[in-house]
Amino acid sequence: MFSLIYRRVSVLRLALFIAGYVWMLVIPSSQLNRGVYFDENALQPGQVNTYWNWKEVRDADVFLEQLERLRDSNATSEQRSQFLMNEFLKIGLSASTQSYEFTGIHKVINGTNAYAILSSPRVSGAEATVISASWLSRTNEGDGTLNLRGVATVLALSKFVKGYSLWARDIIFVISDGYMEGMQAWLSAYHGAPQSNLYAQSLELTSGVIWTAINIDYPGHSLSHLGIFHEGLNGRLPNQDLLNSFQYISRRTGVPVVIYDHKEEDSQLNWLPSSMQNHHEIKTYAAQARNLWRHVGFQASGRGSGVHGLFHQYRIDAFTMFALPASGPHGFHSLGRIIESTMRTTNNLLERLHASFFFYVLTNSDRFVKIGNFLPSAILISVAMMFGGLHVWVDAAWVWTNVTKGEMKEDEKKSVENKRLEPQPTATPHTAMVWVRRKRSVLDVLFIMIGTHIFGASTFFVLSSRWYNTVSFGPVVLFAVAYALPLVLRQLISQPQDHLAVSSLAPAHLVLKAFNLCLSSTVISIITVLNFSLAACLAVALGIPLSTSSPSSHKVVSLVKYSAYIVLGFGWILLGETTKRVIWNWDILGVWLLPFLCIVYFPLMLQAALVCII
Amino acid sequence: MKGIYEGGVFRHSPLYIPVNYLRLPFLFNLFGEDFLSAALYTGVDVFAAYALVRIWTARQRKQTLSSESTESKSSLLIIIYTLNPLIILPSLARSTSSVDNAVLLTAICLACEWSTSEVASPAHKETEVSSPSLTDKVDQATPPFALGALFFLALRTHLSIDALILVPPMFMLIFSSPASRLRRPGPFKYAQKYDRPYSFLRQDFVEISLFILLWTALAALTLPSLTPNPGVWWYFFTEMFDHFRPFFLMVFSLHLLLYVAPICIKFQHDPLYSIFILIGILATLKPYPTLSDHGLFVGMWVVMSEVHPYLRHPLPTLLTLLHSSLLQPLFAHLWLTHGTGNANFYYASTLVGACAGGLGIVDSIWAGLRIAVEKGESRNEALEEKEVVTQQ
Repeated sequence: MFSLIYRRVSVLRLALFIAGYVWMLVIPSSQLNRGVYFDENALQPGQVNTYWNWKEVRDADVFLEQLERLRDSNATSEQRSQFLMNEFLKIGLSASTQSYEFTGIHKVINGTNAYAILSSPRVSGAEATVISASWLSRTNEGDGTLNLRGVATVLALSKFVKGYSLWARDIIFVISDGYMEGMQAWLSAYHGAPQSNLYAQSLELTSGVIWTAINIDYPGHSLSHLGIFHEGLNGRLPNQDLLNSFQYISRRTGVPVVIYDHKEEDSQLNWLPSSMQNHHEIKTYAAQARNLWRHVGFQASGRGSGVHGLFHQYRIDAFTMFALPASGPHGFHSLGRIIESTMRTTNNLLERLHASFFFYVLTNSDRFVKIGNFLPSAILISVAMMFGGLHVWVDAAWVWTNVTKGEMKEDEKKSVENKRLEPQPTATPHTAMVWVRRKRSVLDVLFIMIGTHIFGASTFFVLSSRWYNTVSFGPVVLFAVAYALPLVLRQLISQPQDHLAVSSLAPAHLVLKAFNLCLSSTVISIITVLNFSLAACLAVALGIPLSTSSPSSHKVVSLVKYSAYIVLGFGWILLGETTKRVIWNWDILGVWLLPFLCIVYFPLMLQAALVCII
Repeated sequence: MKGIYEGGVFRHSPLYIPVNYLRLPFLFNLFGEDFLSAALYTGVDVFAAYALVRIWTARQRKQTLSSESTESKSSLLIIIYTLNPLIILPSLARSTSSVDNAVLLTAICLACEWSTSEVASPAHKETEVSSPSLTDKVDQATPPFALGALFFLALRTHLSIDALILVPPMFMLIFSSPASRLRRPGPFKYAQKYDRPYSFLRQDFVEISLFILLWTALAALTLPSLTPNPGVWWYFFTEMFDHFRPFFLMVFSLHLLLYVAPICIKFQHDPLYSIFILIGILATLKPYPTLSDHGLFVGMWVVMSEVHPYLRHPLPTLLTLLHSSLLQPLFAHLWLTHGTGNANFYYASTLVGACAGGLGIVDSIWAGLRIAVEKGESRNEALEEKEVVTQQ
């Protein structure tokens, strides 16, 4: 069987690669996904009569008016939080403020959060639910649009829930300052997880373990749809039952639910012939592919899709209800009823949401792909790379050479494992084709690989250092160094060109390529369970390029190849704003993308680049 | 050690208690507890690496090797042992398994020293510091090296009972030689260095057995704690109905003993090799394994350098080990902190680890037997052809 695999390994690899990539393309199709369902029977979504009514809408309108006055008077965050705290106190909740300061690499960020806690009227308050709104809306990832209606909704809700005694857990209302950073400070103070560059005032009021959190984002005047944003930091996802209950309740209330802010759009298919444009399957595919693309962007970059993403790091299921700005037909009335019903659904839970409902890909608000239907795509590519690596490893050991009969005796003495003599019909009488076994210099190659990873780690320290981010030409210099240093080292460490040794020693580039492929395959298959989107991106970025790396006899060609790999591996630091954002995410929010790129991804590419020039 | 175990129930040898209270006031004030325990564990690991090197030199003594390559090989061995994450991480966690490893390696090392000291030529005088005085009164008392080996073996067995299965091959090692005889298999050869083996056995082993019986905490035999660990036992026993527990406890424990006789008989010509195989079996199948057990197996694997060319699939084995050692922390994290995975995830990753161990053991047995065949009929066509295909 082994021999069969060995002989067909090239075909097998190609088949696996094609299967993997095709599978990836098929994920958005409606064949692989299925309708959502509830796994946790305790949730009972939408089984209650809601009490939110026009009186509460009136409250929200009054709060909104006051907030608008605050906005127009250019109130500082200090004044805003004081106002919010006073409103909470007037309602009769215990409330407080928390000021914080991030001394980030780029600039100092400070602000003040306001929060209030409603103690559970029924039980001792060992668990809590958070209803939050950030001051800045997530529109364009916090471009400065204010989330006034979201904040007004939270204030009105706090007044509303105070009047009912059906809450089985504490309800915490948080109005966080800024976009992401306010909630990061609040959560790290709540959970006692200090961050070296953050000064956060400790919280005067605390409650129990937070199970669920709902973040409300309502930037427009009215809303037409409610959007679900669910990706957390570092690719974490909330339990799917929470999202399912929300979308079920919302639909029952009469507000259509979409995923992200994607309304149905037909214009994107204009380039297709009209008969295909209206084909149901193609339309669904296009819509779901768009959703999936957005999902991969959020999950692979690990930055999360909004304030809710910060909760996931403390094992809290959270999502953002995004009210799509429109001129109608819904407003505070529908939104309040949906939130109330969702809160009462989570109120039914006796334990944390726990069923294995964490591994999914939402392709639409009511469709999802199960783990078994998307995971194999990346795994297949990783297996193909593994086979490639093992194949190169075997190739490195054996060479099919032509030796003359006279030399053979000597050769035999030289390499003890001189294998399988086969008289070849084509060979001249004095020569024979021989499988000669070569020694593979494992240790040298391992040292090279460890060296590349250490080099990657040092670039990470440079990138996340303060002085790097103050000089404007930093990226160019760092890229130049990363480009030139391996070349210079290559020149300095000249290998002994001993022909006698060469014939019995496998070329280092083959061994390096074998190990590089095996390591990348391991990295991809392990990351699939942690962050599938990242694994899929890696499978695309590493799969084919690493498998095709090879040195060339032409010096120029190999140099071009080397440059291509370096650009693929490290070119991202030249991207200006994007890179700055990645660094900011690591610095303030602790997103792992930056260290991952530097310490894992770049060295793997660098190894492939070294294969070309060794 | 104190900080880690304070307040919890733990089932270790009472010998660790004095270590905890061994607070040299002066040093303690000067360096602080953290530094002292770090220094202690560093020392233990370095000592274990030194013992490993001594084992390697003892094994290689008969083979023709230039001193330069021996030198570089020893430093490589030290690097591989001390910088191995499987060894470093348990030491950082202040696991007692680092001490267990050091004690076991010392026992093997002393046994090797003893068995080489007698047959050694004057050229290797540096290793026999105390043996000249011993040779003349060899029949009166057990020689210190062998006694030391026995003492450390007993200590190791006392610290963790699983070393019991290493007792037979250790005795074989003491009575024979650590040099590699894999190429020349044959019946067990008793090296004539001790006149009355039976009295030796009777006196010392009985004394040492008493020591074991008096002191050993039999935790490993009753499996009281089912806290998840890298082994394969805990999950079975959490899933099992209670009334089956004694039966399966017996089956699992006896199952470990099954390996001793076949391995010792098959590798009777090279007891050190059977110790190596049994260490691998222990690392894979014992009730409370730690990472450092796998680390010890890897370290011993490096010592057995002569079989490396005959391994069939070293790279797949190492890759499986790499997968399991990356998956284990990941799945533990997904299960315990992230909350998205569950125990099945972690158990799956430990099974991958067990597969890696199994592959390593099977491959090592294969290579240990193959090396003899290869030497005898080096141009066996049929085997060669197979080798070409399967060699990876």
